[in-house]
Amino acid sequence: MLVALLIEDFVLQLGCEIAGMAMRLEPALDLARTIDIDVAILDINLAGKPSLPVAEMLQGRGIPFVFASGYGAAGLDGSGLSAPVLQKPFDVGDVRRLLTAAL
Amino acid sequence: MAENNRAEGAGAISAAEASADAFAFLGKGGEIRQLIRDFDWGATPLGRVETWPGSLRTATALLLQSPVPIVMLWGEHGIMIYNDAYSGFAGKRHPQLLGSRVREGWAEIADFNDNVMKVGLSGGTLAYRDQELTLHRRGVPEQVWMNLDYSPVLDETGTPAGVIAIVVETTREVLARQRIDREHERLLQLFAQAPTFMAMLRGENHVFELVNPNYQALIGNRDVIGKPVSEALPELADQGFGDLLDEAYRSGEPVSRWSERLILVRAPETGPEERFVDFVYQPITADSGEVTHIFVQGSDVTERVIAEHRQRLLVNELNHRVKNTLASVQAITSQTLRGAMSLKEASDSINGRILALSRAHNMLTAQNWTGADLNEVLETALATHDDPDRPQLDVTFPPLRLEPHAALSLALALHELAINAAKFGALSRTEGRVQIICETAMVDDREVFRMTWREIGGPPVHAPQRRGFGSHLLERALPAELSGQVRIHHRPDGLVFELAAPLSAIREGGGLG
Repeated sequence: MLVALLIEDFVLQLGCEIAGMAMRLEPALDLARTIDIDVAILDINLAGKPSLPVAEMLQGRGIPFVFASGYGAAGLDGSGLSAPVLQKPFDVGDVRRLLTAAL
Repeated sequence: MAENNRAEGAGAISAAEASADAFAFLGKGGEIRQLIRDFDWGATPLGRVETWPGSLRTATALLLQSPVPIVMLWGEHGIMIYNDAYSGFAGKRHPQLLGSRVREGWAEIADFNDNVMKVGLSGGTLAYRDQELTLHRRGVPEQVWMNLDYSPVLDETGTPAGVIAIVVETTREVLARQRIDREHERLLQLFAQAPTFMAMLRGENHVFELVNPNYQALIGNRDVIGKPVSEALPELADQGFGDLLDEAYRSGEPVSRWSERLILVRAPETGPEERFVDFVYQPITADSGEVTHIFVQGSDVTERVIAEHRQRLLVNELNHRVKNTLASVQAITSQTLRGAMSLKEASDSINGRILALSRAHNMLTAQNWTGADLNEVLETALATHDDPDRPQLDVTFPPLRLEPHAALSLALALHELAINAAKFGALSRTEGRVQIICETAMVDDREVFRMTWREIGGPPVHAPQRRGFGSHLLERALPAELSGQVRIHHRPDGLVFELAAPLSAIREGGGLG
């Protein structure tokens, strides 16, 4: 929850708008299915569940995304998905760099 | 020269001298010839040497020339005449044995020799290989093994008159063979009792020759002896193990693998099973240098591999939690600092928030992060604001078990509410009170969790001019975390905070992602 606040803060600092925020898999899937956005930041782990279905949904809709993870890139092993990984902890510079890469 | 000497010698012996030496047929040299000359044959059924028939003389002369131990047993009593080689074999029984009756001379094996005499004198032959006998050659019983060949000696009338025996002692060879057999037996025992699995495969088709109980346990109760690997364990041959065996066989070099995964079908009804093994294929070469066998040895390390995998997951999980916690602390500090009026205020707030986070972690760690009871969450978050001597908090709640993320969020939210009340609200005055009501209810067929925080008796309330970490957490993060709604009313008589969230989002084991 606190990490989401931090990301929100950084994203706002970069001059972006927050279109939505979800911390559980089902609300996140609902958002990914419907929301109109330029880019998403997606924690690999949503309250103990892998967020890969959300990533697949975004990929299917052609929406670029960045992963955030305490595992680093290792958290993606075997998923077949490739996206920039924002490794915790991070600063606003990291967020800018990865969002730029994703877009 | 030798020819000449012999010619002169032969010429020098007169006919009278020749008839005078009745033992000339024995030939010369050696101990036994002298003993035969000196022996009183007149006292035996054979009679004086001068009276011996030609057949007895010829046979005697023949055996004396042989370097192989030979004994002749003459007449129905089996009177013994033997050569030097046999006297060595007879040990201390020689020279008493010479001229004795065989059943008396070798009294300890009289029955055996009785049969020899019967068969031989009726014209038959006998042959024994590695015949075990107990002899008293040196005063003590001694176990010996011999190759024995018996054949009859015919007299002038063509009737069997004696038995000739070729005696070759094989005791040394038999003992050596027994030692090798025992060693083999011991190796087989080691093989059977080894803590590792072992198998011996023969030839280029890798035919099972031996498997130990551990190997049998690995492959299930399949009968593999005498079958090639490809037939006995078809599923392994298909997983590349056949090629590895071929490689070891061809190259003569050992092949080893660690933590190798294999799928076994131990029995048709059990289906495929995943195991992990450490093993070595050790080629065995003959003296010619050619590979004849492959010795398979190894251990089933499945439990170890699973434990290592679990440990790797745990380390990853721990790393993940540490990183997450660092990011949480980062969120607390950066946002607190940004909204702060002074360093002192920021420092106090950061300390308070990190401690609140730490207490919530302690609460969850104590229960292995499976969840926490609602009353624990309330106690953990509010303990520092609740003085039992001057109670200001009035808390009501239903028994409810919370999912860990909901418990953590709620604890942090309660800390923010309490800190705000202590600074600006009801808890800043001794007469101030806070009512905290937690309840569950049915709304539109859905179970809902509600929490109301109502402050009474504090100073007049004003809506805050800035929105800092606290309001972000309460108004943005908390509803997102719990899939719920939050309302904050800055009423003049006191702040009121209302949270409503689907019960499924906060209850342990709740269905909502």
